[in-house]
Amino acid sequence: MSSNIVFKGSKNGLQLIIDDNVDFDSVLEQLKLKLASASEFFTNGSAQIQVPAANSRFTPEQQTELITLFSHYGLTWLKDNNTGHQEGPVFDESQAVDEQDHPLIISKTVRNGQEIVHQGTIVVQGDINPGAKVIAGGDILVHGTCRGVAHAGAFGNMNATITADRLLATQIRIAGLIARAPDNLDIPECVETARIVDGAVIIEPA
Amino acid sequence: MGEVIVVTSGKGGVGKTTTTANIGTGFALLGKKVVLVDADIGLRNLDVVMGLDNRIVYDLVDVTEGNCRLKQALIRDKRYETLYLLPAAQTRDKNAVNPEQMKELCKELAQDFDYVIIDCPAGIEQGFKNAIAGADRAVIVTTPEVSAVRDADRIIGLLESEGKSNPKLIVNRIRPKMVKKGDMMDIDDIIDILAVDLLGIIPEDEYIVISTNRGEPAVANPVSIASTAYKNIVRRLTGENVPLMTLETDDGFFARIKKIFRF
Repeated sequence: MSSNIVFKGSKNGLQLIIDDNVDFDSVLEQLKLKLASASEFFTNGSAQIQVPAANSRFTPEQQTELITLFSHYGLTWLKDNNTGHQEGPVFDESQAVDEQDHPLIISKTVRNGQEIVHQGTIVVQGDINPGAKVIAGGDILVHGTCRGVAHAGAFGNMNATITADRLLATQIRIAGLIARAPDNLDIPECVETARIVDGAVIIEPA
Repeated sequence: MGEVIVVTSGKGGVGKTTTTANIGTGFALLGKKVVLVDADIGLRNLDVVMGLDNRIVYDLVDVTEGNCRLKQALIRDKRYETLYLLPAAQTRDKNAVNPEQMKELCKELAQDFDYVIIDCPAGIEQGFKNAIAGADRAVIVTTPEVSAVRDADRIIGLLESEGKSNPKLIVNRIRPKMVKKGDMMDIDDIIDILAVDLLGIIPEDEYIVISTNRGEPAVANPVSIASTAYKNIVRRLTGENVPLMTLETDDGFFARIKKIFRF
């Protein structure tokens, strides 16, 4: 079964992009599966989600059902105020798929307090500093030093990896697993990759 | 048009006010016309460090609220003719001013002065937003402590998101002996994390405590170690190319520091 729904990270939180030709029951079913597989990710209960064009597509009863499902996973539905046509940028499916395929490239240092969320792979051409968070649906590649929190496969992809020239992350998260740096961490001398092997996060030379 | 420089850090107690006072006085020693603006409304200190607290009549909030003209609130320094201070209000809080008013104020001051130096309060809230609003460039002060460096990193990120890139870094209160023993972060570690240009380093100096309590900025004292460091920083801010006394030479950082300061 191919996926008809896509989570997409944006500046204002998450967006749920739904294929035009899918009925509501199928959407609900896929959504349940996706949210269940990524339940670790939404634990803090403060995440906001937008569903573009929801008012024109779904009946109020269906919308209530969605809200209940979201709240079960700690998500808040940020509704558009306008009832009719949606203003601002409209994300169509082709654009969302595009973004999923293409890596997001960050060509600067990600600093303390900054958070980057992207559906696909994230490439950082710089450092990830302590206190920064990088969350990717796919892999994370750091051409620099990774000292912050890196979360690859954040939407449930257990095969995602984190690779860095110097992997010194305070925490490495892949899908639902969390690994913490040892309290006395030596500076690695080579490029390292973190991945899941037999249900545990391991780090090895790339 | 003069230049507006904000001195900021995120963390408190790293030496923003001392740095503001000394950079300002350093500019005045070079004959530049300079005004220091205390943006730490409600917790003002710069007037005390400058030894001008008994001369305050009007303050920054009086100016933005139109209770007085800008010229009336400016206090001329008791030692240097070209040095002025715009004190903060003490009975109000950070919300008494907004970023738009600060922009206007900085613009007006920049017309009359070569340099406008803003002493930013600690934190990242309203006071910080006010202080950076009108600044052309930023100077970040940090100490060789992990907590101060983390906060500096946060501040650099916030400045970038406000469109103020390329801030310059001052590392304050370095103790060369401790760094040598490996008990203190060295300059390389700090630069490696923050990835910004180094404007200068200030060694720990007891004279700073004495001068702060006396209300006489240390930069005017010819024998103080910190004074030389501040003078170099001021020259670099004017665009002069003063070599950094850092790690680029073979005989090492401390040998050079010792040579320069005759430890």
